Amino acid sequence: MASNPMTQFEVYKIGPELKFGGFDLSFTNSSLFMVLSTLIILGFLHFSTSNKKIIPDKIQLISEMLYNFIAKMISDTAGSKAKPYFPFIFSLFTFVLMCNMIGMLPYSFTVTSHIIVTMIMALFIFIAVTVIGFFKHGAKYLSIFVPSGVPMVLLPLITVIEIISYLSRPISLSVRLFANMMAGHTMLKVFGSFVLSLGIVGGWLPLTFSVALTGLEILVAFLQAYVFAILTCIYLNDALNLHH
Amino acid sequence: MDEKDFKTRLKIAKEKIADRVDTKSPKKAVFLGSAFRLGTELVSAVVVGTIIGFILDSWFDTKPWLIIIFFFLGSIAGVSNVIRAAKKMQQQK
Repeated sequence: MASNPMTQFEVYKIGPELKFGGFDLSFTNSSLFMVLSTLIILGFLHFSTSNKKIIPDKIQLISEMLYNFIAKMISDTAGSKAKPYFPFIFSLFTFVLMCNMIGMLPYSFTVTSHIIVTMIMALFIFIAVTVIGFFKHGAKYLSIFVPSGVPMVLLPLITVIEIISYLSRPISLSVRLFANMMAGHTMLKVFGSFVLSLGIVGGWLPLTFSVALTGLEILVAFLQAYVFAILTCIYLNDALNLHH
Repeated sequence: MDEKDFKTRLKIAKEKIADRVDTKSPKKAVFLGSAFRLGTELVSAVVVGTIIGFILDSWFDTKPWLIIIFFFLGSIAGVSNVIRAAKKMQQQK
């Protein structure tokens, strides 16, 4: 029995090895689960909206609620100017949510428990938001580093602090998702191995914990996807509606 | 059924739905999400500050002064991040 709780995060190659100029582009179990979650989202949305009715049935209702949920989140946090970015945030939310939820199935792989995956998403958002900000406001976008109403003496210090806090965005965004997923799954595995090692006499207590933790992890899986999406909206809001 | 009667019934039904949404309130989960947010907000700014200090130190050969200064600047940035996020959350309520 594999007792090491970290073996569940191992990435291994599936199929032939592909190398392009020093880059290893082989298909891994990580890529498999990314493709799987994308296919599930696409399939579900296609299936639920293929037979449109004015009075929706249950499956159509789920996808309509999903749409409303994201649309409301964007209009609440980033205003009407952020409407064009709805497709991006919708795909981001559903992808992260589906990856987290698939990870809750036994014997599956959690894509978002690797910092490289979450870091790429967070860096993409960070760079995109910065580019959007400069594109919409030009050099005036730099004024987010200079809050108004600060005395001249403190201005250089405050600016440095603001720059640090701006640069910390991708790190906090990616580390939050990755750390929550990895810590949760490690904990589940540890409690699972306690059940095995304590046997039928003492194994009941960790088993109860395991069941409770599974419920908590499902909540965390949803919450982290939600937080990831809403923070993207907040950053977008800073870039679109420049005010301080 | 005349139109006026129907309109009042529709109004009552809509009010009922609005009440139901308010009492159910999925906000508890949202608050838990924001609690998760604040911790990393604080730590990441400290990390970024320290990394900047480390890089500048190796550029200017001023070990260990800039890393100390930027560690504290990062801590200030982290605290101000948390205060700002908490203020935004209070506004949303």
